[in-house]
Amino acid sequence: METFINPKSLFHLLLLPCLLLYSSIAYNSSPVEAAMHTNNWAVLVCTSRFWFNYRHMANTLSLYRTVKRLGIPDERIILMLADDMACNTRNKYPAQVFNNENHRLNLYGDNVEVDYRGYEVTVENFLRVLTGRHETAVPRSKRLLSDEGSHILLYMTGHGGDEFLKFQDSEELQSHDLADAVKQMKEKHRFKELLIMVDTCQAATLFNQLQSPGVLAIGSSMKGENSYSHHLDSDVGVSVVDRFTYYTLAFFERLNIYDNASLSSLFSSYNPSLLMSTAYYRKDLYKRRLEEVPVTNFFGSVMETIHTDAAYKALSRRNSGRFEDEMSLDQSVHHIKRRMLIKVNDGDEIHDINPELLQGEEGASKCPWSTFRNKFQKAENVDSLLNYGLVAMIPLLVISTWLVQ
Amino acid sequence: MAETKEKSLSDEKPKPRVRPIVRLGIFLISHSFHFSVVCCTAGVLALFLLPVLAKNTYISENALMPGSASPMLSNQHVSDGNRLVKDLTNPNSKSSETGIESHKIIAQYMLDLGAEVSFHKFHPQMNQFHPLHFFSSPDSGKIQENYSCSSYGINTVGIIRAPHGDGKEAIVLVTPYNALKSGFGEALSLGIAYSVFSLLTQVTWLAKDIIWLVADSQYGEYAAVAAWLREYQTPKFSSLSTPNAEMCPDVNNLFELKGHSISGSKFSNSFRRAGTMASALVLKVRDQNEQFEDTISIYAEASNGQMPNLDLINVVNYLAVHRQGLRVNVEKLWSLLNSSWLKSLGEIFESLAKVAKSLYPKWKFGIPATEYVEGTATLASSLYYQALGVPTGPHGAFRDYQVDAITLEISPKFSLDKVWRNDILLRGGRLIEGVIRSVNNLLEKFHQSFFLYLLTSPSKFVSVGVYMIAFALLIAPLPMVAASLYVDANSSSNCSKGDSSTPSAITDTDEHSIAIRSWRWLNSAKLVFIVHLWGAIVSLLPYFISQIPDCSPTTSFMIWVLLSILSLLTLNSVLASPLACAKATQEKEWALVKSVTISSVFIGLGLMSVINFATAEIGALLMVPMCLLAQPLKLDVRAGTLRSFCRMICNLVLGHIAFPPAAFFLLKGMLDGFGNANVGDFWMWVESLWAWNSATYLFIVEVTYIFSHG
Repeated sequence: METFINPKSLFHLLLLPCLLLYSSIAYNSSPVEAAMHTNNWAVLVCTSRFWFNYRHMANTLSLYRTVKRLGIPDERIILMLADDMACNTRNKYPAQVFNNENHRLNLYGDNVEVDYRGYEVTVENFLRVLTGRHETAVPRSKRLLSDEGSHILLYMTGHGGDEFLKFQDSEELQSHDLADAVKQMKEKHRFKELLIMVDTCQAATLFNQLQSPGVLAIGSSMKGENSYSHHLDSDVGVSVVDRFTYYTLAFFERLNIYDNASLSSLFSSYNPSLLMSTAYYRKDLYKRRLEEVPVTNFFGSVMETIHTDAAYKALSRRNSGRFEDEMSLDQSVHHIKRRMLIKVNDGDEIHDINPELLQGEEGASKCPWSTFRNKFQKAENVDSLLNYGLVAMIPLLVISTWLVQ
Repeated sequence: MAETKEKSLSDEKPKPRVRPIVRLGIFLISHSFHFSVVCCTAGVLALFLLPVLAKNTYISENALMPGSASPMLSNQHVSDGNRLVKDLTNPNSKSSETGIESHKIIAQYMLDLGAEVSFHKFHPQMNQFHPLHFFSSPDSGKIQENYSCSSYGINTVGIIRAPHGDGKEAIVLVTPYNALKSGFGEALSLGIAYSVFSLLTQVTWLAKDIIWLVADSQYGEYAAVAAWLREYQTPKFSSLSTPNAEMCPDVNNLFELKGHSISGSKFSNSFRRAGTMASALVLKVRDQNEQFEDTISIYAEASNGQMPNLDLINVVNYLAVHRQGLRVNVEKLWSLLNSSWLKSLGEIFESLAKVAKSLYPKWKFGIPATEYVEGTATLASSLYYQALGVPTGPHGAFRDYQVDAITLEISPKFSLDKVWRNDILLRGGRLIEGVIRSVNNLLEKFHQSFFLYLLTSPSKFVSVGVYMIAFALLIAPLPMVAASLYVDANSSSNCSKGDSSTPSAITDTDEHSIAIRSWRWLNSAKLVFIVHLWGAIVSLLPYFISQIPDCSPTTSFMIWVLLSILSLLTLNSVLASPLACAKATQEKEWALVKSVTISSVFIGLGLMSVINFATAEIGALLMVPMCLLAQPLKLDVRAGTLRSFCRMICNLVLGHIAFPPAAFFLLKGMLDGFGNANVGDFWMWVESLWAWNSATYLFIVEVTYIFSHG
């Protein structure tokens, strides 16, 4: 026997399936359950150019102000404005933007941080922001650096139609593009929950292709409906705000950062006769009940502070920390078990191994593998598989030790 | 045509499968008489239906947003304007002979507002006839000789720069002003423009520069604006080209004075420019008015029937009607308003529409008879002025540089109290302000709305897609008739030969004769060409006649007629020998001649409809019946039947009507009464036409040759 086979190489050969098995087990036991809510992001997009689309920029800036007021910091807001109305030569009030004809609130104040402006607002850049596929030179402030625990608010306004949204008077974002981007985000664990809010004509059609879980969508109008502007500022000479956004803002003006108004109360606040269109929301991809979700889940940034003993050690969340602990416990148990088994060595009764298979090295190495595979495929839970694996290792150990001796 | 002929010939032999389109063609050609009657009737009917089919105008460009901003023109600005009116109508401002004083006043007012001011002096350029310059752009770099210091005009130009703008675009406001004999209306128009101008110096929302041109209209409004535009659009980079005017002491004096009195201000001697012009408004106030309410008339036709973009008219109409409560007018043929046949036609259409509506409630195309009459009168004037090709105001000069421009003529109901004057200043000023603010919102040139349209009322229009149907119906019979005539002429000669010759000889002679016959139309083409040539010569003659000094219109017209006849005789003797020798076969040949003529008319009308639709339409109305009915008089006389007699009468009448001088007199007679018609008038009319490089002129002469067939 010794003349035939080099015992050391054989040992390595036998070790290989073991490792394979082990790695497959490790993979299967990776965290499937989603992470907890960690932070809030907002992507606010105004897609249309030109002076007569003043209201779209005003819409976006109003929402920017609102989410900022409700606690999302500037570094977590990506603001995209396709044109600069504030400095348009036609603006009667240079460097100011209003969303109401009473001119009480200048939306374009001192601390507005526009991330993408003018011709930077393209479909390509928009999709890059969502999916995180940037060129290396793009600064962090222009990236959506969300993680698997992020809640993202995506607000878009402009001119749209059946399953598209016009960007910049020259391109359009189709509902397929949006759905694909969201799917990629899901794959890349870039969000936990996503609220898409769209204020355009036929906004509802933009959500038709969405299929990623955790996405909630609300649009200002159904298919075949227009979204209208709310009122005209005869001083500036343009319409300054759209109806859907106006009533959304009216809802949020009543709230402060600690309010617990639910999403359903926001959605039910839209009155079709005031909107002159039917607000549409799609919640079939969203698992939680809207009555239980506060609006600040998306429009604000409610951070839960967790006390930890050591600095820089603990994970941000109690729950996820517990989960991690369980995992490591599992693994350590496994290690101990294996060590035990190795010490116990042969002699124990092992139910799964056929005596014939023990006769030759080849049979011993081949047949258990196929059974493992079968079992692996059938295995309901990880634990049983683990057990089988360990049991299968015993004869290998027996044989190898025997050969070495 | 040749193809169809061959097909019809081959039809008599074994029948191959003929494609449906060819079969349809053959059918139409063989029934060309009925077809042409039906088509012509339908064409004329469609023309009369146009007022019914007119659509409401709508503002097509999103960016315009007329009336979305509330007017900012206040009583303060109005009183500023009033002050200028008072100063200008003050008798001692008119003391100067050249009217320079009032220009100085205007310039001073502009300077006080902080605008850039400059004077533009020009020499009135007499309109000269250039037969070959019909479609070329206005000549600019022409250096003109023999200026005299006594005749020059001064345009005063004020420019406001947009405070945040990039200075690439400008809006022009023009007020014609004759300093020597200005009426109160002109002063008022200056007052309105000044009040708007004073407002615009204060506002922050300007994106385009504003140019206010006070055009010196002592040599005509158009000439002044055209001269300024020429200078504006073609910058001269050498200082050598403009010494002429500088040498005149009077002008120098003017500039000296200005330079001294207001040194360090924004006055400049050189020509000032702003950006490319987005649009231009010419503002006039009529002196006397017979209307009962404040109205505003819009004049839009530029040279060769070009129209400004419909959006510009829409904006003015919208703001005038819905914001300032002014009544808006467009030109009408007033004589048509009282015609009873039109009224009854309108009633017929109205009742027809009612019947149609009762049959199917969704058909709503009827308009009341009075509205129909007004629509037709407006449409007729729209067609007439477009066909004439003469601009209806100074705005025509802008269209030559592709700038959209209209003339607004405010005719207030006059009374002399101050309240009324303030009111018209306020409303007129707010209208102008609104239009300027709306145009200011534009991001691109006017391009959204129609350029090819006919107005039937200030708020209704007929677009090119609709009015072309009438024209197409009218000229559709021409190629059919031409083809059928050609086929007839060939087959008749074929038959006569076929009868005489033996069957064996047929094949031999056939091929030979077909070869000859297929080229026989060249003879007729030659004849038609000669007539065309004569037409061209006749059209060029006035140029030379106009060189003769001291000629009254009547004598020059006589010279023209004589020379025309002379040239016809010469041409006839030199080139048209076939005319004489073809006498024997004339009876057969005339059909071919007619066929060639008709096809050339068809091509001509088709081309003309692209250049100037209205001319082609009116031309088609005159020429198509004439072409279709034309037949040698001798044949008709010989036939002696009632039908041929009727046809002969028709031919003679039509031939005379369509002959341009005759047509002119008839029209003039209808409009003004026959008493004051004069041969010289026609000369004046033609003179005015070529002064404007009108394409109509080309066309008119083209008509004349058909006359020779009679």
